[in-house]
Amino acid sequence: MPDDWLNDDDRLLAVLADALNDARAVPPGFVEAGKAAYAWRAIDAELAALTYDSAADLELAGVLRADSATLRALTFAGADLTIELELTAEALLGQISPVEAGDVTAYSGPVTDEVSAIGTAVIDELGFFVLRPVPGEPFRLLCRTASGTAVLTGVVSP
Amino acid sequence: MRSDPVVVRLVARACDGDKSAWDELVERYAPLVWSICRRHRLSTADSEDVGQSVWLRLVENLPGLREPAALPGWVATTTQRECLRLLRLGRRIEPVDPLANSKDLADDGRAAVDEDLLLQERRHAVRSAFAGLSERCRRLLSLLVEDPPKPYGEISDAMLMPIGSIGPTRTRCLDKLRAALIGAEFEQTGGGERHAR
Repeated sequence: MPDDWLNDDDRLLAVLADALNDARAVPPGFVEAGKAAYAWRAIDAELAALTYDSAADLELAGVLRADSATLRALTFAGADLTIELELTAEALLGQISPVEAGDVTAYSGPVTDEVSAIGTAVIDELGFFVLRPVPGEPFRLLCRTASGTAVLTGVVSP
Repeated sequence: MRSDPVVVRLVARACDGDKSAWDELVERYAPLVWSICRRHRLSTADSEDVGQSVWLRLVENLPGLREPAALPGWVATTTQRECLRLLRLGRRIEPVDPLANSKDLADDGRAAVDEDLLLQERRHAVRSAFAGLSERCRRLLSLLVEDPPKPYGEISDAMLMPIGSIGPTRTRCLDKLRAALIGAEFEQTGGGERHAR
């Protein structure tokens, strides 16, 4: 730590002002969400990263709305598994690849330091699943395959 | 990065299921994550997404964190990567400068992350030292750093302290802050570094 600012009262006070302002600039909700994330520790799964979101693609989002029942399409990719999702008004459709049977659980939360399962569905041998209804709150999906791969998506805010 | 025994202990406790240790880690590094998001000019909503990804990855990686002392660097790098990923997805960035495209932002960001890291470590050290001061010192220093500056008359009223005492008390409180900072530094380095006063 360079000492020049430390030995001068005015500069030390300026450094203090900056440090206090910096902490105040962080929204409290940002910190609280981080603390709550600890609840996911209970779920042992690889994290899949969002690699595509039609909501980010305004032109395509317009096409989807006009021509099909799909409101939004998302892709999450993990090292072992890719999960494609389509949100329609009635259901959440998904497919995993490589294709394999298994099950999928939607989790909401965390609320009061716990995550809760809000829906489950079977993944058929073609890798498809249908979850009804579409969760009404932000959720994550845990896909478990018959061979033992477990992948958790990021948060989807419907 | 210098190894910080406090971080190493917090990581070990969080791994063992101690939620309060996790909370402390989040409080400590949230300003770092936030500042890197800001540097990438992400919107508040996107910054929250990045934050979630970083904490989730940290939860997942806690047990495998081979070098807990390297955590600040890990947090900075992961945040940086998540910011770039969001930018690649074509999410909105806050309109600032029409000439600044996202590639330039990314390059600037990468170069600045190390700087963020050092600055944030210093800010954290200062906040910790400040938190350990007496209530009276904390109140006075808080009033003194207000922007725009408060006139001494108002500070005197708020502190129930004669105007003439503000200057000397300020000096004493800053001395204590300085001593706490140097003490913390000694603890971290095992007294290996000497500080000229």
